[in-house]
Amino acid sequence: MSVINYANRVIDFKIVYYGPGMAGKTANLQYIHRCLPNANRGNMISLATGDDRTIYFDFLPVSALTVRGFQTRFQLYTVPGQVQYNATRRLVLRGADGLVFVADSQFERLRENVESLRNLEMNLREYDSTLDEIPYVLQYNKRDLPNLAPVTYLEFVLNRRATRVPSFEASALEGKGVFDTLNTVSRMALASEFGKRERRDEAS
Amino acid sequence: MKLRNTVIREQDAARIHEVLRRFLGESGTAEVLLIDRAGQLLAMDGAAQALDAVSISALAAAAFSSTAAMAQLLGEPEFSVLFHEGTKRSIHVSTVDGDTILLAIFDERTTLGMVRLFAGEASRAVGAVLGEARGRPKPAAEFAAPLSESESRPAWTPPS
Repeated sequence: MSVINYANRVIDFKIVYYGPGMAGKTANLQYIHRCLPNANRGNMISLATGDDRTIYFDFLPVSALTVRGFQTRFQLYTVPGQVQYNATRRLVLRGADGLVFVADSQFERLRENVESLRNLEMNLREYDSTLDEIPYVLQYNKRDLPNLAPVTYLEFVLNRRATRVPSFEASALEGKGVFDTLNTVSRMALASEFGKRERRDEAS
Repeated sequence: MKLRNTVIREQDAARIHEVLRRFLGESGTAEVLLIDRAGQLLAMDGAAQALDAVSISALAAAAFSSTAAMAQLLGEPEFSVLFHEGTKRSIHVSTVDGDTILLAIFDERTTLGMVRLFAGEASRAVGAVLGEARGRPKPAAEFAAPLSESESRPAWTPPS
């Protein structure tokens, strides 16, 4: 969960990119790392297998706006998408302030998308949390490939909770949609610290 | 198991700093980092300014979490200490409380036994400060009003 530090006037957030294997979670972070100047980002760490599949997580810290005298910083993580790595996926999810579900838009990957989303909900329950409580966006990635499911269909299948969440078409390798996704989820995570939730905290 | 938000006020930071400084002096440790189990750096002291402390925090929290998961597979609630021995520098990670760990980086000027001895003491002291901080309601002044339009503007501009 977020850390607000008055001593150095910083608020830290954790954002986790979730989704099935090979959906493009690491590609999102690589593009962000490539595009941001050194002053706005730290080193990117990738714990991957020899064939570049994520085995634990990727990690990229980025700094953002100063809001009411606090520098805001976001620690971006990916989870390993492969089914067998659920234990590590659950560990990375711990303390997430915002989530990006990266879906693979190809028709033949629909089942994996649905299973990964269910797996996300199941892992959140381990932390007594749900998708309704955490700022969350969807990214329909790989829109540059053939055999795409229409966005309306992906919305029907993946964005069907009572409150629909923001969703973005993306091609992470080319960078399309990557910053729209990041800007939105970070803004949602930031907004959750201000206003409404504050009054609730004080009432309790 | 839900993690709690952490708000560290100036007075909390000063007390934590005092505990960490004492720990450095007594144990002979070169650097110390206080890290929450989600991977966020809460405080650091010693020569730690020169380290990539943010990356070390993320990696240490992950290593500690995966060790805890292994402990559970053996029927242990947790392995409370993690130790990595290097040729010049070593790392000792120990539990502060359910949400926090303490990471000490030390070299040949001290011993594992000294670090372990004083890490326990420092953990109890710093855990008490964090417990008080987490029990307090979030300060209202800066956080009461929702974000304005300008505060909600995109933080990063994609390359054109």
